[in-house]
Amino acid sequence: MTPAALLLAAALLFPLLLAIGCLSARFRARALSVLVAAPLPALAAAILVPEGRFAFFPQPFRLTLVLDQPGAILLGGAALLWSAAGAFAASSMTRDPAAPRFAVWWLLTLAGCLGLFLVGDVVNFYLLFTLASLAAYGLIIHEQSAAAHRAGVIYVVLALLAEAFLLIALVMLAATHPDANPPIRSVVADLPASPMRDGTVALLILGFALKMGLVPLHVWLPLAHPAAPTPASAVLSGVVVKAGVIGLIRFLPFEAGMPAWGAALIGLGIVTSCYGVVVGITQRRAKTVLAYSTVSQMGLLAVLLGVGLETADPDATNLAAYYAVHHTLVKGALFLGIGILAATGGRRLGLVLLLMAVLALSLGGLPLTSGALAKLATKPMLGYGWLAGAMTLAAAGSTALMVHFLLIVRRDAAGNPAMSPPIGQFAPWLVVLAASLVIPWSLYPAVSGETVASLLQPEALWKVTWPMLLGAVVMLFVDRLPRRLGLIPEGDIVVLAQAGAPLVRGLSNRIGEVDVNLRRWPVAGLGLIALAILLGGALMFRA
Amino acid sequence: MTPFAHATTPGGFLLVLAVILPVCAVLAIFACGPRSAARIAMTTLAAGLAIAIAIAVELIASGAALSYVVGAWRPPLGIALRADGLSGAMLVMTALVVVTVGLFARVQYGLHDGAGGGRAQTTFWLMLLALWSALNAVFVGEDLFNLYVALELLTFAAVPLVCLDGRAETVKAALRYLLFALVGSLLYLLGTGLIYGQYGTLDLLTLSRLSRQEPALSAALALMIVGLLAKAALFPLHLWLPPAHAGAPAPASAVLSALVVKAPVFLILRLVLDVAPPQAAAIAGQLLAVLGAASILFCSVMALRQARLKLMIAYSTVAQIGYLFIVFPLAAGSAELPPWGTIAWTGGALQLVSHALAKAAMFLAAGVIAEAFGHDRIADLGGFGRALPLSAAAFGLAGLSLMGIPPSGGFVAKCLLLTAAVIEGYPWLAATILAGGLLAGGYVFRVIDTALAIPAVPVAPRRPVPRRLELAALALAVAAVLLGLVPLRPFGLLQIGRDGLAMAGLP
Repeated sequence: MTPAALLLAAALLFPLLLAIGCLSARFRARALSVLVAAPLPALAAAILVPEGRFAFFPQPFRLTLVLDQPGAILLGGAALLWSAAGAFAASSMTRDPAAPRFAVWWLLTLAGCLGLFLVGDVVNFYLLFTLASLAAYGLIIHEQSAAAHRAGVIYVVLALLAEAFLLIALVMLAATHPDANPPIRSVVADLPASPMRDGTVALLILGFALKMGLVPLHVWLPLAHPAAPTPASAVLSGVVVKAGVIGLIRFLPFEAGMPAWGAALIGLGIVTSCYGVVVGITQRRAKTVLAYSTVSQMGLLAVLLGVGLETADPDATNLAAYYAVHHTLVKGALFLGIGILAATGGRRLGLVLLLMAVLALSLGGLPLTSGALAKLATKPMLGYGWLAGAMTLAAAGSTALMVHFLLIVRRDAAGNPAMSPPIGQFAPWLVVLAASLVIPWSLYPAVSGETVASLLQPEALWKVTWPMLLGAVVMLFVDRLPRRLGLIPEGDIVVLAQAGAPLVRGLSNRIGEVDVNLRRWPVAGLGLIALAILLGGALMFRA
Repeated sequence: MTPFAHATTPGGFLLVLAVILPVCAVLAIFACGPRSAARIAMTTLAAGLAIAIAIAVELIASGAALSYVVGAWRPPLGIALRADGLSGAMLVMTALVVVTVGLFARVQYGLHDGAGGGRAQTTFWLMLLALWSALNAVFVGEDLFNLYVALELLTFAAVPLVCLDGRAETVKAALRYLLFALVGSLLYLLGTGLIYGQYGTLDLLTLSRLSRQEPALSAALALMIVGLLAKAALFPLHLWLPPAHAGAPAPASAVLSALVVKAPVFLILRLVLDVAPPQAAAIAGQLLAVLGAASILFCSVMALRQARLKLMIAYSTVAQIGYLFIVFPLAAGSAELPPWGTIAWTGGALQLVSHALAKAAMFLAAGVIAEAFGHDRIADLGGFGRALPLSAAAFGLAGLSLMGIPPSGGFVAKCLLLTAAVIEGYPWLAATILAGGLLAGGYVFRVIDTALAIPAVPVAPRRPVPRRLELAALALAVAAVLLGLVPLRPFGLLQIGRDGLAMAGLP
């Protein structure tokens, strides 16, 4: 076993071991303080292990770990955010009596999420996907409020639905493969020749879109993110939704390409990115606005992946991972920043607000920030047609949404008494913030193939600046619209879905009545006779 | 023809032991009086487990079925016992569940009556042992009439377990069970009579070599299968199961739900695969699959609607039994691939075993909850996970297996069935399996959500529950989950002894 393989294994197993350690009550009582360390092996693996390494663990584990470029990029960013958010949680939740329980759910979600970026075989991918999905439920309901429970229930229903879609898709992928647990790479290579190709791809996209929050399957995000404790919202929005992104990266055949499905993904992405902005602008709460911003950004990622699938361009996965890591760090820092702002007042408030503004506008593409880098890196792939125009508009929309967000947080923090945030929360926030500014610069040449100097050209700066100005101007007008706020409830179309509840209840009651009837003696007796005749007929039937 | 005839194999006496040891224990309890009932029962449980394991070891070591010809009288004159791989798996599963339930019951009765035996306690031990003997007889029986006797013994041992506490409602449920099971027995006996009249033999191995498709055989099989369906409580014949399983004391419910309903399912499997002509079996298999699918969907919704925990688990049993019936068309096999070589066959067997373990764990956990709080209304149990963490964990782990969430036995089983449905081209069965998993997720999640809730007024246990009581449920639930980690090779076990059995209709 090579050191690289050991490190990859540690990245997956260390958080699981910590979670198992929580079976001991003494360890569990202090579990909150190990959260910061749990993702460190993964971080080390992302930095130290050369790309393309893999580790195979034979029977009975049948586990394959691989580290490719998109996986490494996503793993590094995610591990950093998990670690910082863990430190934040350790400081912010010390007085919470239910904190040990929170730590257990945290470690399980973390193990699942980080493992997904590494795992290379079908069965263990599904296993970790399930672990990440279901354990996140514990993070969402932690505060035990009615809103948290509602969010938790809706989340679980959608998560189970995603599991079901994914399970049948994976079964269809692997059904004809001779190996019981084939490597992902090999089943995806066989996919374009499969007779069930279209059904499989549709189910894969459905399953992963649910996790990413593509419209109309996005309803869990704006409910779950505000309900969870702040560090949990940061990882939910920053990392957990990326489980869908890595799923699409791993399972769609980018080498062979599928133009029709690529176009579908692009369409879905554009609708999602516009929808997230439009609905987000009507929201009153900062965390909800951020959740809708995540929806919108996931739409942009879907567009990138769709273009890659349409043009059979495997490089799209690297660019999508690059865009995703920018979003992971920025969105994580923004959520943690909401917690920081709530504990800041007086002199420091201005500084924190300024940093928040840089982060927020980075999502719209503020020059020299990670957002601008991500947008410039993906620009050549999108070309100069209508798609590029749509993406520019999306950047303008993101800016408008973020201006709205900044106005909300400024208003919320205006009345704070003079105080400064605990260092245990402030330092992790600064780390993520700094990482969001630095990491994309260091990755840029490797991902885009261009030099960093090209980023400083006035032309490049202008390319990202004018959509921002457009967005800011639009926001100036939108902000004056009367009765805009609160127009659309959080979770938008879930309200429509809940209107169908009486229908479902009616159906369920009907089934209850049928059951009462079936369980009467005469009916059961008749059933017995009818079945005997039917079965006899079936057995006598000669084909 | 000699290779197919029964002949006693070296380990064959183990089969006899598996059947008569519990009966001997019942007699011993009568002889020594109720005071020593628990002690005798516990000794027998240990010995029975050892015998079951010995049978499995012998099967794997020899790679062939174990047979025993009673009194050296060969069928059709005498009767034979035979254990192939599937029977071996059933025997071990039964032994595991019975032993764990026995340990649970010992602790639970210890809480109430002290060491001496109350009437209910003595009855429980007697019936548990009788039931074990009957189950073993069903799994190793080769003679249709012998199997009828075993089924009757099973019913008569199971019915008193339902009404151990003597409350009016449980007596009513037990009577309902008894009557319906008797109707089922009658139909089975009628079919057996028809077969004997026609062919002059009741030996399954001999019957499997009849390559005829005659109306008498079809009618006989239809009567027997429907009779068994009534005993297995497949939708729409489930009228007796929910009140009976929900009303029984926890250890009894666990045995009833995990094991007793599996015996008729096992026999249907043998009748359809071994005795029925393959072409006819294909159409009948479709019919059974439709019933199975209806059972999964309908009873899962009913489980979701229940306000009481035990009723919910009971309806879930009817739903999970449905999965065993959708195996028939999926495991139809082909000329090159016999049914027991298909992945659906393995999936079905795995579902049978993992459901037995998970369902027993759930009923035991529900028993602990009822013991602690004095009721099992789900809505009033908010936050029970804090008071009974081990039981909540057991329920959750068992639930994972029922929902088919990895890594659990239920997941591997459903994954294999899904793969079979995809390969064989049964999209409606695949959709049913997925929908059943979602609905199971719904009813399991409802309980887990209740367990994790932190209500304003925390529920307090009415009386403390010892850890040992909770451990039994947890052990079974962990076993159900670990089943998913077992590489599928041991399920080569399922193929042992099948190849010697010529498929009906083949020369």
